[in-house]
Amino acid sequence: MRRLSLHWRVALILGFGTLLVTSVLAIATWNLASGYMLRQREGSAVRQAEVNVRLVEKSLDSGGLDELLTGLTTGPDSSILVLRPGKLLTAGRPVDAGALPDSLLDMGRRGVSARQRIIVNDLPMIAVTMPVANAVYVELFPLEQLDRTFQYISGLLITGTIASAVLGALMGSWASKRALRPLSELNAAARRIASGDLQARLPAQGDPDLKALAEKFNSTVAELEQRVLRDSRFASDVSHELRSPLTTMVNAGEVLRRRLSLLPGPAGQALTLLTSEVDRFARMVVDLLEISRDDQTDERLCEEVDLGALVRNVVATRPQLAEVPIEVAESPVVVLADRRRLDRVLTNLLDNAERHAGGPVRLAVTRAADCVRLEVDDAGPGVPPELRERIFERFARGTRGGDSGSGLGLALVSEHVKRHGGRVWVQDRCPIGAQFVVELPCAG
Amino acid sequence: MQVRILLVEDDERIRQALGLALGDEGFDVEDAASGELALRRLDAETFDVVLLDLGLPGVDGLDVCRTLRSRGDLPIIVVTARTDAHDVISGLEAGADDYVTKPLMASVLAARIRALLRRRGPGRVGDTLRVGDIVIRPQEGLVHRGGSEVHLTRTEFRLLVELAGAHGRIVSREQLLQRVWGYDYFGDTRLLDVHIRRLRRKIEPNPDDPAVVLTVRGSGYRIHT
Repeated sequence: MRRLSLHWRVALILGFGTLLVTSVLAIATWNLASGYMLRQREGSAVRQAEVNVRLVEKSLDSGGLDELLTGLTTGPDSSILVLRPGKLLTAGRPVDAGALPDSLLDMGRRGVSARQRIIVNDLPMIAVTMPVANAVYVELFPLEQLDRTFQYISGLLITGTIASAVLGALMGSWASKRALRPLSELNAAARRIASGDLQARLPAQGDPDLKALAEKFNSTVAELEQRVLRDSRFASDVSHELRSPLTTMVNAGEVLRRRLSLLPGPAGQALTLLTSEVDRFARMVVDLLEISRDDQTDERLCEEVDLGALVRNVVATRPQLAEVPIEVAESPVVVLADRRRLDRVLTNLLDNAERHAGGPVRLAVTRAADCVRLEVDDAGPGVPPELRERIFERFARGTRGGDSGSGLGLALVSEHVKRHGGRVWVQDRCPIGAQFVVELPCAG
Repeated sequence: MQVRILLVEDDERIRQALGLALGDEGFDVEDAASGELALRRLDAETFDVVLLDLGLPGVDGLDVCRTLRSRGDLPIIVVTARTDAHDVISGLEAGADDYVTKPLMASVLAARIRALLRRRGPGRVGDTLRVGDIVIRPQEGLVHRGGSEVHLTRTEFRLLVELAGAHGRIVSREQLLQRVWGYDYFGDTRLLDVHIRRLRRKIEPNPDDPAVVLTVRGSGYRIHT
């Protein structure tokens, strides 16, 4: 089972706590009040019965008992029974003497006054029994009114208990939300930092419990920001320091290459080796700097890009690809992307196909449910399954012999695609060759 | 006539290597080791193109760029060792027509220089174009707005001619990059964005709320006719 959040736990605990306290109070109140009221009612019933018994006692001797009993009944629901040996006199609401508990009648017969709460004909009653001469006097007093009062009080207490529990839960919810608000601020700030905004800070906290946490958090982020800045400054300096000598080397190489015919034999061979390696080195440094820049800063400049147009434009810059068919599902196929990075993705995939598989044989832009696909097919030797993930890692080249690549081309593809929330993979192409597939989320 | 280039670069070795390689490409290359020297030479002599390194000691490359721009429309290509958007954009904002990043190849640079110099010609359209109160005479290379002349660099001018020549149709960003800058498209739309911004500052009544050069989201730009 999923653990409840702190907020809900606090709300539930407070709700239960309030429920417990108020129900204990309600039960106590109920017991005291109902007991007291019942005793009052019983007391008055006994007093009434005592007066009546005295009157009955007199009339037992003088006769006219029936009229007296009729006059004595206090309401339509009350009943009086006088049990004499062999004769039963009743008045008021008719009651079967058999419905009365024997124990009560026995008490009366033995000459002891007693009272008991009983249910007669579905009505709650107090039965008071008293000895009269050689008979037993029983009077039943209805408790209906008292019962209604009890129902009213118990309803009130139950409603009050439930209401206070709900109120407690609500208060718990409110209070915990309030108490957790600094935490959600912390969470929001941490999320901003995670997404690359190192300027995010927590607002100063007045509460001494939170002050230290906020200060520690802010100082840690400030240190992190300084460090990131230092790192990026270092990368920028390295970039500058590497690019300058490379510029000299590449251009000096170009000058020498033009004069290759002047250097016959081994010297010429060595020069070719030197200049081609310098070019490769320059490409590697540029790719490496681009990847390390990717690691650090995010200068995303996203715009709506028509993938079909982008493919046609990149291909247009390569005369050797003029014959390659380009299939575009529908136009425009729009993605939200950094145009430069997408260009780089396609350029590197084309370079890869040219370098390892004799060039691409088909390019396609297709559209799926919520993504678009860019496919680059070649008719080369294909990529064995065990290398299909590894080729997207940095400096993971299949064969080194005669390779002029930087070893970072596909790694850059992978990073750029990931940055756009997409994925790239390679699969077999029918009948021969490899198919590189870039999948990007649709715009909007 | 041979194209005269002034190469402003503080690194002695780069200056030599680039000078040799550009010489092989058929250019007449002169060099200057600092911003001050460059400005002094530009006062005395005429050049067709300036190659300007942005990381100069003394007078900063950006300052040299701004000074040159205030004097006229001499084509400027900035050379930067940093590829951050910030460096590139500030160079273009300072008035450069194009930029290249180190390590640059003389052959690539040569293609860009030639494309830049071609920009002065009338392009595809030769007749006088009118956009609202703006009159463009591609033959003479003049732009008037409300009767008074507007000074545009040749890149800004070519951009305006390409947009106005489409007569209100959308011109895609790729088309603009290819027609104005002319070299291999490499999707660097920063070049275009900054130049559109510069153009708007010169011809729009309110550059923040463009009414002449309109952006069409996702596809390109068009002139409001």
